[in-house]
Amino acid sequence: MLEIEKLSVSYGTVQALQEVDLKIAGAGVLHGVIGPNGAGKSTLLDAVSGRRRPTAGAIRYLGENITRRSVAWRRRRGMARSFQRTNIFQDLTVREQLALVAWRLRDDRVEDVIEVMDLGDYLDEKAGRIAYGVQRRVDVALALIGRPQLLLMDEPGAGLSAEETLRLFEHVRELIRERGIAAVVVEHDVDAVFACCGVVTVLDLGRHLATGAPAEIRADKRVITAYLGSAA
Amino acid sequence: MNGEAAARVPVQRDALRAPTARAGWRIGAGAAALLAFGVGAVAPQYVASDFILKLADGGLLLGILALAIACLMSQTGLVTIGAASVYGGVGYFFAIGMTEWDLSPLAAIAVSMVVVILYAAALGALIIRTTPLAFMMLTLAAGEMISHAVLLEGLRDYTSGADGLVVSFQGTLFGLESGDFTNAARFWAIVWTAAWVAGLAAWGVRRSRFGAVLRATRQNEERMRFSGFDTYAPRLAAFVFVNVIAGACGLLHVLNSGFVSPESLGLGVSTNALVAALIGGTATSAGPLVGGLIFAFAQDEFGARGFTQLLTGIAIVLFIVVFPGGVVGALDAFVRGMFRKRQRESD
Amino acid sequence: MIPLLIANSLALASLLVMMSSGLALIYGLRDVINFGHGALYMLGAYIGYSIANVAGFWVALVVSPALLALVGAALEYLALRPLQRRSHIEVALVTLGLGIILGQALIFIYGGEARTVEAPPSLAGSVTVFRLTYPVYRLFLIGVGLGSCGLLALWLNFTTSGLHIRAVSQDPSVARMMGINSDRLSFLVTSLSAAFAGVAGVLAGPYLSVDPGMDVTMIVSCLIIVVIGGAGSIAGAIVAALLYGFVQVAGSVFLPDLAALAPYALLMVVLLVAPRGIGRGRAPA
Repeated sequence: MLEIEKLSVSYGTVQALQEVDLKIAGAGVLHGVIGPNGAGKSTLLDAVSGRRRPTAGAIRYLGENITRRSVAWRRRRGMARSFQRTNIFQDLTVREQLALVAWRLRDDRVEDVIEVMDLGDYLDEKAGRIAYGVQRRVDVALALIGRPQLLLMDEPGAGLSAEETLRLFEHVRELIRERGIAAVVVEHDVDAVFACCGVVTVLDLGRHLATGAPAEIRADKRVITAYLGSAA
Repeated sequence: MNGEAAARVPVQRDALRAPTARAGWRIGAGAAALLAFGVGAVAPQYVASDFILKLADGGLLLGILALAIACLMSQTGLVTIGAASVYGGVGYFFAIGMTEWDLSPLAAIAVSMVVVILYAAALGALIIRTTPLAFMMLTLAAGEMISHAVLLEGLRDYTSGADGLVVSFQGTLFGLESGDFTNAARFWAIVWTAAWVAGLAAWGVRRSRFGAVLRATRQNEERMRFSGFDTYAPRLAAFVFVNVIAGACGLLHVLNSGFVSPESLGLGVSTNALVAALIGGTATSAGPLVGGLIFAFAQDEFGARGFTQLLTGIAIVLFIVVFPGGVVGALDAFVRGMFRKRQRESD
Repeated sequence: MIPLLIANSLALASLLVMMSSGLALIYGLRDVINFGHGALYMLGAYIGYSIANVAGFWVALVVSPALLALVGAALEYLALRPLQRRSHIEVALVTLGLGIILGQALIFIYGGEARTVEAPPSLAGSVTVFRLTYPVYRLFLIGVGLGSCGLLALWLNFTTSGLHIRAVSQDPSVARMMGINSDRLSFLVTSLSAAFAGVAGVLAGPYLSVDPGMDVTMIVSCLIIVVIGGAGSIAGAIVAALLYGFVQVAGSVFLPDLAALAPYALLMVVLLVAPRGIGRGRAPA
């Protein structure tokens, strides 16, 4: 579904990602990406979604090299992204923004998304006025419109409690299984990742450290060192 | 869809469009508008003096230019302060077309408008990708360059430099003669019609999906891209659209005044139009049009005493801080307030 | 020829650096363009003129900026802070309106003719440096310009408040999350920016002139510089000011008819090549 080959991204003199290789399998699998601060997790998502141009390397999506494609193009081809800092339309009502995106992506089953993200009670509220937790659900809902094939989620648990994050992850896992979506989730809350993800990748200082089943990763000495080493 | 549809929360696909009003209300509103249009076109020449009409003509022309600026501002968040260069520039092309290139008035108008569209498309293509402030500065730059170009020695044969060009035409244009445009009373009906056309066009944009896309892009351009939208083309289209309005309005202006000069396309006209938009309120079509009229009459009243600039400054501050919706916005809020009060009293 | 060109560019750039860094600071901090910045400059110049007539140039150079700092504080408390919640366009337009009012008030008080301010005797005349005979006053101007650049760089890079300002300019929301008090910073920056405008205004007297159109000329120049320099980048503004100064001076020497348009052409060229401006400024959202 998604192949990342020797991906490198640098900001000026800072090398955020160095020659990262990663393969994201197909539908129904929740693929978690973890790593200490500065590991380059968000940069990885930025590069894959098109927000940042990589300095080297290639990204293949459904067999096609999309490294030079625009953000909008990728979205229309089914690669959707949710954001760490809620990135929605503050002055539009929930209904309005969902409908707008649904129109663009020719999706006539917005009701499904509304139900799944439990936004029924907030449809006619201006997004800027609703609670933060609900805003985050709107953020994810916007990404779910248009029946995406690959979902990229950037720290969906940011600002939520551990329990809320776990519940969100379980919800997302259920969702992608039902709909046959592939998902890559970058997250800080390691427990939620280990509990719900089928595959876990660990990045450290811009490099790929390890990829495997949660149990393997948990036991991997290099991963433990990476985390302990950076814990102040 | 399936049996569970009834339990789901209904989402209208056209949820973005303004709710459609009942048929009866719409017919009533349409009839009232038609009546207002008719009365407004005809009545003033019987009631007002030629002098007042002349002021009103100028005010409404400024109002249409202000409408163009306001439409761009409210839908895209982009401020253009070079609109006068199109407003005045089109007059130059019209004049030159007839005198230098021997075009008929109609052909000269067509050529001028084509030039406007090409210019707006080219300029827009270059400057829309920048930040809003950069955009504004670039429209200023473009406007100043054009102002300067008109005064260049090399183009003196075409533009007559600082003296300006006298513009007139023989024969008829859309069935009207030259005198119909220059006569203050007869021109009122023309500019009133143009104002309604422009106003309806702007209203149409605001209510359409195109307007919704523009406004959403203004709020969160990045999320629009991440939702599959092209954020560049719609704004470019909007920019061309408002410049077309400015150009058409500029043609009316030159037909009315019979004269075009570097002042017509200067920064002063652009800022006057911007202030007129603020005075009337940028959210509606009526706002800038009313603002133009108010500006024209205020300028006549106070300008003679040399206070125009000062009042412009005061107007800007006043109409942003105290009356952010402008005159029309304030009236609208007042009327709504009355409705709500009456509703509460009747409860 | 070239050394003269460079010297004149530096002189003009010195003035522009003082003005545009002030504008860039407020822009970086509050995301607001103070369109009245040119009017503050004009106020500084006219106040400087009046004081110089009574107490001499050097007193004016101290008192005018001090008074301007007070005006800056007033601007912050009476306009910028109350309107914080409004859109950036609206606040910018309000500063424009206030600038127009101030400019008109000055014309009303002083009349419409240009005023001349004499350079103080200690700075009059010319001196020969590197085989170039150059007015002492302009060398002084260059010195002050470089000095203010240096002080600004020191402040931004080596003090806590400077660090906070850089942080907020780069990423406002994160900075606020970290508890940086932008209100206090804003007050400091606005007053400082106004004071700088005061210094520039006084210095401009003997170098350019004190006339009714100086506010418009200056704000347009500053805006072009800030845009070229990139939002939130002080270093970018400084480089842009140097570039602007050079283009303006070179333009008036080589293409006198089109000199007035040179800055606009510069703006267009730079933005075509680098749409976000020269500096590294704000991180993309």
